[in-house]
Amino acid sequence: MLRTLILACALIGTAFAGDPSTLVLDGSTTVGPIAKAFAEYYMQNNPDVNITVSESGSGNGAKSIVNGTCDIANMSRFMKHEEFKAATDAGRMPTAHVVAMDGIAVVVHPANPVKDLTVDKIRDIYTGAITNWKDIGGPNKKIIVVSRDTNSGTYETFETLVMNKQKMAGSVEYVGSNGAARQRVQSTDAAIGYVGLGFVDNTVKAVTVNGVAATPQTVASGTYAVARPLFMFTNGYPKLGSHLHAFVTLHLTAKGQEMVEGIGFVPVTAY
Amino acid sequence: MRLSTRRMLDRSFSGLGFFAVGLMAASLIVILAPMFVRGLDAFVFKATVEHRRLMLERFGRGNRAVVDKDLEAARIAREPLYRILAEFKEEMEGFDPDRRRMFRTSVRELETLVQSLLGPFPGEPTPALIRRQYGQTRWDQAQLKLQEILYVESYDYSDATRMGTKVYTPRQALYEGTRLHGFFPYLEKHVEAMLRPRTTLYWRFLFDSSLDAHFFGGIWPEMLGTLYLTIGAMLFAVPMGVIAAIYLVEYAKDTGLIQLLRTCISSLAGVPSIVFGLFGLAFFINTLHVSSSKSVLAGAITLALLVLPTVIRASEEAIRAVPLTYREAALSLGAGKWHTIVSVILPAALPGILTSIVISMGRAAGETAPIIFTAAVSVGKPLKVWETLSKPTPALPWNIYNLATEHEAVDQIRHVQYGMVFTLVALVLLLNITAIILRARVSTKLRG
Repeated sequence: MLRTLILACALIGTAFAGDPSTLVLDGSTTVGPIAKAFAEYYMQNNPDVNITVSESGSGNGAKSIVNGTCDIANMSRFMKHEEFKAATDAGRMPTAHVVAMDGIAVVVHPANPVKDLTVDKIRDIYTGAITNWKDIGGPNKKIIVVSRDTNSGTYETFETLVMNKQKMAGSVEYVGSNGAARQRVQSTDAAIGYVGLGFVDNTVKAVTVNGVAATPQTVASGTYAVARPLFMFTNGYPKLGSHLHAFVTLHLTAKGQEMVEGIGFVPVTAY
Repeated sequence: MRLSTRRMLDRSFSGLGFFAVGLMAASLIVILAPMFVRGLDAFVFKATVEHRRLMLERFGRGNRAVVDKDLEAARIAREPLYRILAEFKEEMEGFDPDRRRMFRTSVRELETLVQSLLGPFPGEPTPALIRRQYGQTRWDQAQLKLQEILYVESYDYSDATRMGTKVYTPRQALYEGTRLHGFFPYLEKHVEAMLRPRTTLYWRFLFDSSLDAHFFGGIWPEMLGTLYLTIGAMLFAVPMGVIAAIYLVEYAKDTGLIQLLRTCISSLAGVPSIVFGLFGLAFFINTLHVSSSKSVLAGAITLALLVLPTVIRASEEAIRAVPLTYREAALSLGAGKWHTIVSVILPAALPGILTSIVISMGRAAGETAPIIFTAAVSVGKPLKVWETLSKPTPALPWNIYNLATEHEAVDQIRHVQYGMVFTLVALVLLLNITAIILRARVSTKLRG
C-alpha cells in the first residue's frame, strides 16, 4: 500500500520535475541575503518564475548539487575535492560563479575595549592558547569563543586563512548561522566570533585584523587578511537565455552590483 | 487513622491540586500572553506615510489621491531638512581640507541614517533593494532610528579593568557652529509631520506575500505552506494509521512478529524528530526521488511518519473500546467481518480516532526539524495545490527559526517574527477547535 502510494506520487512528482519556471537555491547562510535579494528582484521582473531559497550551510549546498536536488548551490567556499568527485561521479559538473567578495569580520561586543587583533592572536584565541581578554589588552574576563559549525563555508575559510590547520579548542561554542553568531556576541560582552561582512551591524564591533578594518574597500583591494569569494554553483554552465543563466549572471548587472553592495558585500566588478 | 487527620490529608491534597492547576494556568498565561500581545503588534501598529506609500505602490491598496496628499504634506515637512543638509554641504566646500575630510565621513553616515528613516532623498534614483526604497514604515522603528540620528552611541573605555560603558552624545555637538546645527532640533520637532504616523490595522499581514525577505509585507506563503504540510501529512497518516490500527486489533494474532511490530510502533513514537527529517531527506528525496528537490510532498510524508505512531496507538485504543456487544450484534445479523468493521466498529470508534487526528495535527503543524531538509525554504512564492508535489515552500515553524537566528536584519523585523508565532499558535488552536467541534457533533449523532 505504502509502496504503491509512494510510487504513484513519485510518478506524478517526476512529471512536474525540471519545470523551467522554478529555481531552487540551497546552501550558505552567508550568501543567503544576496540570494534572497536577487530572488526578490528577479521574481518582481519575471512574475511567472518561482525562486525558493534555503539557508542550511555551504556543506548542504554541495550535497544538494551532488544529489541533484537544487539548481543553484550557494557556497561561501569552493567545493572540496571529495564533493567535486562525488558530483562528477554522479554525472554532474559543478560550475562556479563568483557572485561577490566577502571579508570575514572578527566581531566582539562593542563594550570590549580591544580594537585590533593580529591573525596570530586570533588563532591563539581559537586554539585556547589565550583564554583571557587581559592578555590582549582587555579587562580581566574569560574569553567566550564562538565559531560557526563545521558544515559552514565561513568556518572552512576561517580554518584555512586563520587557523592554519590547527585544531580549535574544546571550549569553543559552535553556532549554526551568521545571524546566530552575531546574536551570541551582541548579548555576551566577553564573546568573540566571526561573521560575513553583510552581517556586521552596530550591535557588534568588528576589530581590525593586522591593523586593517574589514570594509568593502579593504576586501576589494585585498589588504584585509580574511577575505574570500562567494559562489553560486550550477550543474554545468546554464543554457543561455534560460532563467537559470539570467539569475547567475545577475550580479554582473548594475542593479545586481548595487544590491550586493546594499547588503554589505563587495561586488566582484568593483576592483 | 483518626477522622480529623483523614480530613486534613484530604484537604491538603485538594489544596495541592488547586495549586497545580493554578500554576499551570499561570505559566500558560506567562507564555501565551506576551506571545499574543507582541504578535498583535504585527497586525495593529502605528503606520507611517511610508507604509501607506508601500501599500499603494506594491499592493495597489489605498486611495491614490489621499495617499498623494499625505505624501505631499510629508514632503513639505521634510523639505527644510533636506535644504539644511544641502546648505551645509555647500558650506563644507569652504572649510579647510582637514576639517572637510573629517565632516565628509560623518555626513555620509548621517545621510545613510536619514535615508533609512525617511526613504530615498528627493531626486535620487530608485534603489534596487526594496528595503532601501522606503523609509521606516512603523512608527516604533522610526523612533529608534530617530534616536540613532540624534545621539551617537559610543563606549567609554577609560577604566581598563572593566568592559566599556555605553555613552550617548548628541550628534548635534559634532556640528557646533555650522549650518547643520539646526538640523537636529528641526528633525526632532517635525519628525511626526514628516512621517505622519497613524494607528493602522494591517489584517492583510496574513494574506500578503513577503517583500524583500520579510522586510515588508506579510506571511501568506508561510501560512499556506504550513496548511499544505499539515493537511498533506494527515492525508497520508490518517488512512495508513487507521488501517494499521484495524489490522492490529481485529486481524493480527498474538504472535512474536506482531509483538515486535507493536514494540516498533512504540519506539517510533520516541524517535527524535530530526531523525525523521534526515530519514526523509535520505529516503524520499535522495533514494526514491519523490520530487527533484525538497517539496511539500516529501515534507508531508515525513511528517506523516512522525505522527503515525500517535494515530495508530490512539485509533487502536478507540477501536478496542467499542463494546463487544456491538460486534456480536452485527455478526448475529449476518454481517461479515469486514462489513462489521466498516459499518459498526469504525463509526463507533470515530470520536476516538478524531482525537488522535486532533493531537497529531497540532504536532505536524508545529514541527520544524522534519521539514528543514525535506520541505522548508526561507523565501518562496505561495504554491498552488498541484505545485505542492514538486516544489518546496516556506512554512511558519521553520521561518520563525530562520527569522530569529539566521536573518541578516533580525532586530529590525522582530514584529514579523512575533506575528508568525502568533499566527502559528492561533492556527494550531483553530485546527484543534474545529476538530473538537467535529468530534462533539459526531458523538452526539452516534448517541442520538
